[in-house]
Amino acid sequence: MAGMADKFSRLAALRPARPSATRAEKAALRAPDQEDALGQLLGAGVAKNHFGEHLAIRNWYSTPEYIEPSTIAVELLSRMRDESLSRKTRAALENPSKWLFLDTETTGLAGGTGTYAFLVGVAWWDAGGLQVEQFFMRDFTEEYSMLQELAARVAERPVLLTFNGKSFDWPLLENRFTMTRAIAAPKLAAHLDLLHPARALWKLRLGTVRLVELERHVLDAPRLGWRREDDVESALIPQYYFDYLRGGSARPLAGIVKHNQMDLRGLAALFCRINTLLSDLSCNAGEVESLDLFGLSRFLQRRGDAGRAHTACAQALAIGLPADVRPKAQRELALMAKRRGEHERAAVIWQEMVADSQDGVRACEQLAIYYERHAKDFRRAMEFAQLALGKLRRERGLLQRLLRDPYAGARRARLEQRFRHRIARLEKKTARSSPARCGGAPEAAAPKASRALW
Amino acid sequence: MPESLAVRRADVSNAITRVHEVLDAFASRDHSGEILTAIRHFPAREAQVADFPEWVNANLVSAYAAKGIRRLYTHQAAAAEAVHAGKNIVIVTPTASGKTLCYNLPVLNAVLENSDARALYLFPTKALAQDQLAELYDLNQRLENRFGVFTYDGDTPADARKSIREKGHIILTNPDMLHSGILPHHTRWTRLFENLRYIVLDELHTYRGVFGSHLCNVLRRLRRIARFYGRDLQFICCSATIANPGELASRLVESEVEVLDSNGAPAAEKTFVFYNPPVVNRALGIRRSYINESARVSQEFLKHDLQTMVFANSRLHTEILLTYLQQANPRLPGKPETIRGYRGGYLPNERREIERGLRDGKIRGVVSTSALELGIDVGSLDTVVMAGYPGTIAATWQRAGRAGRRSGSSCAVLVASSSPLDQFMVRHPDYFFGNTPEHAFIQPDNLEILVNHLKCAAFELPIKPNEKFGDVDVADLCARLAAAGFLHLAGENYHWTHEAYPADTISLRSVTSDNFVIIDITGEPNVVGEIDFPSALVFVHEKAIYLHGGQQYHVEHLDFKERKAYVKRVDVDYYTDAIRYTQVRVLEIASTLRNPAAATAKLRKTSSALPDASSSFTSLISTTSFASSYSHGDVQVRSQVVGFKKIKFFTNENIGDGKLELPENEMHTTAYWITLERPLLESLPFSVSERQSGMFGLLHALESVATLLLMCDRRDLGTAIGERPPDAGQESDPIVSLRMEDAVSANAEFFEPNLYLYDAYPGGIGFSEPLFCAHDLLMQKTRELISFCECEQGCPSCVGPAGDLAPRAKEAALAILDGLCA
Repeated sequence: MAGMADKFSRLAALRPARPSATRAEKAALRAPDQEDALGQLLGAGVAKNHFGEHLAIRNWYSTPEYIEPSTIAVELLSRMRDESLSRKTRAALENPSKWLFLDTETTGLAGGTGTYAFLVGVAWWDAGGLQVEQFFMRDFTEEYSMLQELAARVAERPVLLTFNGKSFDWPLLENRFTMTRAIAAPKLAAHLDLLHPARALWKLRLGTVRLVELERHVLDAPRLGWRREDDVESALIPQYYFDYLRGGSARPLAGIVKHNQMDLRGLAALFCRINTLLSDLSCNAGEVESLDLFGLSRFLQRRGDAGRAHTACAQALAIGLPADVRPKAQRELALMAKRRGEHERAAVIWQEMVADSQDGVRACEQLAIYYERHAKDFRRAMEFAQLALGKLRRERGLLQRLLRDPYAGARRARLEQRFRHRIARLEKKTARSSPARCGGAPEAAAPKASRALW
Repeated sequence: MPESLAVRRADVSNAITRVHEVLDAFASRDHSGEILTAIRHFPAREAQVADFPEWVNANLVSAYAAKGIRRLYTHQAAAAEAVHAGKNIVIVTPTASGKTLCYNLPVLNAVLENSDARALYLFPTKALAQDQLAELYDLNQRLENRFGVFTYDGDTPADARKSIREKGHIILTNPDMLHSGILPHHTRWTRLFENLRYIVLDELHTYRGVFGSHLCNVLRRLRRIARFYGRDLQFICCSATIANPGELASRLVESEVEVLDSNGAPAAEKTFVFYNPPVVNRALGIRRSYINESARVSQEFLKHDLQTMVFANSRLHTEILLTYLQQANPRLPGKPETIRGYRGGYLPNERREIERGLRDGKIRGVVSTSALELGIDVGSLDTVVMAGYPGTIAATWQRAGRAGRRSGSSCAVLVASSSPLDQFMVRHPDYFFGNTPEHAFIQPDNLEILVNHLKCAAFELPIKPNEKFGDVDVADLCARLAAAGFLHLAGENYHWTHEAYPADTISLRSVTSDNFVIIDITGEPNVVGEIDFPSALVFVHEKAIYLHGGQQYHVEHLDFKERKAYVKRVDVDYYTDAIRYTQVRVLEIASTLRNPAAATAKLRKTSSALPDASSSFTSLISTTSFASSYSHGDVQVRSQVVGFKKIKFFTNENIGDGKLELPENEMHTTAYWITLERPLLESLPFSVSERQSGMFGLLHALESVATLLLMCDRRDLGTAIGERPPDAGQESDPIVSLRMEDAVSANAEFFEPNLYLYDAYPGGIGFSEPLFCAHDLLMQKTRELISFCECEQGCPSCVGPAGDLAPRAKEAALAILDGLCA
């Protein structure tokens, strides 16, 4: 009869977590001198408190240089929808010496109570440069003392700046604090997360907004003073740590510590860049790419600064945008004009867009609305509605062949329905005010131009 | 609304006469007396009531009074008292006896007395939780919203979750969500866990077998987390009538549980009828198709305007019955469909709509799988028709309970199929009406299940090596998990060291959590349903006819990578049935007994689940020596869908088939098997093909009897025949166990075959050892089944349909049995 071992070996649930788990067999405690070697490798010292020990690494960097945060930028970054800031929060935000940049390296991205932050890096402005401090747990037993230290740092500087930390790093750390049942999670005065602003600003131009990409294309990496050439791959970080725990090589850990340092410095540099962009528009125009200006416009729009959003959008259009983005910007600009009540101005922009393949229908709809409601020229409103209907019908065949989007059909049908209703209503209105009232329409809306498009 | 009530009453009394009319009509047609094998009347029963206990909050008493509940049934009062006294309880009463009040009353009272108190309700399905939510909302409004009650499941929108975690006094969820959504994120639920007092487990009887074994481990994890937050939990369980509710409950929650099983609720008059389809050919033992007969019986009720629920035992039969009944009751122009189907795989909104239609009477008939067996509130129906025995006595009562909830007269009809179990039941009605329902077994210490949940537990909270997980010592398992790279011992604790989130990959209900989406591409693509992975291979393989809502769909393409099945609406007069191929390899023999040498065999003392089995063991002293042996142990089972048959509607003719190339399913499990040695086979005076047929016939009968003895679902056991390996336990070429048809036609005989009965779940769920111990009882009952059957050469009720087997298969099967029992 085969033994228990054999039975275990057949359990799917016990199949090794990874193919290279052979090293796991010889998991052993490290000798004290090896620990010293680790400290040297990482440039770390042993920190102690009443929960125990962990490693701490301190470095000061002259880059990025400290830049005074502008009130307006901070206001924009911290403003949430429908939420005004409390006086206390505002006071904390206005004091850069209360700011703490934070970034963690974790044992996974899944979240939940079984994911640990084994390396926590924090940084703050100091002496015109950046002071970086990192806490590393050599094993799970060192987590409490590390968290204790972190809690102290956050208590000193309770305004957190992160990149995706609002949905990942900080909730994870809060979990860790809760799990201790001994150390309370420190209260934050404010939390500024740069992921969403960065996405709004640069997603259009870069496609992705990973910090590394931002460094390369937005922050002018070489000038920043660090190189990512032999940076560790983020996806491998948990694995390196697990390997180290099981007695494997500690060498990759040095790479992780460096990676974390660069992320913190990148984060600080990113803040400076966003700060400049948001603080003053006039000085930007010359040196900022048009796409970024359009991104900025969208960000400002979203955070409720309509005036500057409009300026940025107009600037972007003036500098010139790629063909695929241009109509979007025009649309935004027209909508902004409409919202401000400048209907004629919006109509002029829609007029330019009638011929556009993507937004033509939408432009026609807006023009139909304009002529019906504001200019009260029902005949012309009707022309645009019919033009849109014609466009939709011609698109139908094409779309069906090109796109296999199951909803496109339904969407188009709804749109067509809407236009038919509008036309029916307009017919009634024209009938009522029989001698068609003309005038009030800007000259650009010559029906000839639209007829040419049929 | 006194007017509508009066109408309703008149309706009820009419229903009584109409039920009797239909029954009389059946009786008058049954000349031989062979069709209606049992007609039992159950008289109406008076309610026994008690007052609300004094300690109940006055607001709560008046809220119930406003709902029309001024006094309690005795069992409700007893339950409330027991919970108040801090006991774990299990309440065992039939459908519609006011079980929910048994737990709502004490829980709400606790919440009203202390607004910090929290409770977690677990229901086996999301639909049941929704149903309860409506009830609790109603109470809450009468209490001026004094407490928060929410469902928390996969359908809960992400932005609502945070406030639910904070504000919910009562959280309604299911074991799956607790397992993958709540426990691994317990730090977000500190409000709940720091104040958690009550756990309600409704429909406890559904937590048996695999699902129960998983749930037991989930509860171990739950208690562990609760302890971390300093809480001890009190369990309130509700169960339908089963033989061992107390045992099941205390096994699941791993502490003492008090059983409350006296029922104070009133019951209406009810008639229970066993209906055996008439015999068409006595020699072949062929009866009229029970599906057609069920349709006919249901149609009779529907014609008399009696709201009818039809239960079928598989998705396929649900759809076939639905097709028949919809054809018989065509939809009137401009009116909604009055006959509907209901089963897993229908989308939630569609289901809610059907439930509503049943309650307000717009839907006159519904064809359902076991999905409607549980306590979803669909109001009271007049009649229930069961197409085929549901497999257990408990489930039969549960389904019958769907008819006639509190007043009026109702009727339940069981239409027997020709399967051995069904035939046994309808021919021995006393066995059904006189016997206690089944035992429910769980095997929480199944290694595969245990280890998986141990991983989840480590993810949730580091494990101490000296810790106990339920009553299991975990030191050894943790060490192995550490060696495999999942855990790491640091200081005193094992910590989780893997990037993956373990609960994601563990499904509580089936082997995989994977499912396929079914997309109708006749016009605009449209999702019509979903199907779990193992079923997908059987039901939506390419060229299959998939039935959904009575509509036939032809499967155009099965996209394995994307887990999608593309179907097109068709209208054909056949359906398809998949052909499966199974192959078993013995990995390790736990124990073997050579038949004639019972006395000298190494008999392992085992905790038999069937106590009377071991006693009959010793009575067997055999003198003749035909060589055979039986064993149990670990096996590897591979199965594959290799083709399909096209079967014509109504006539059930086989009108063609096709081949398929689908991936293989492989699992390790436990099995019980009988080895027929060469001398035994050669001693039989039959031809090769007759012997082969005899073996398949015997296995068919063995399987039926085994499910009866184990009181398990038929799907929990798999069968196969394979050549005995040269030396069991060693690597050997896998021997293909042939399908019956192939074996009979191929004429290639097994040399020394093994007849396997295996647990149809990876790792096994503990059926093999009881079967091994009950070997003699199994042989004896199988013999009775075959020899008492009236057919001449085999029929579906004993060794399988005569057409599929060689002539004399029945004799051969009996001769093999003789050799085995000697």
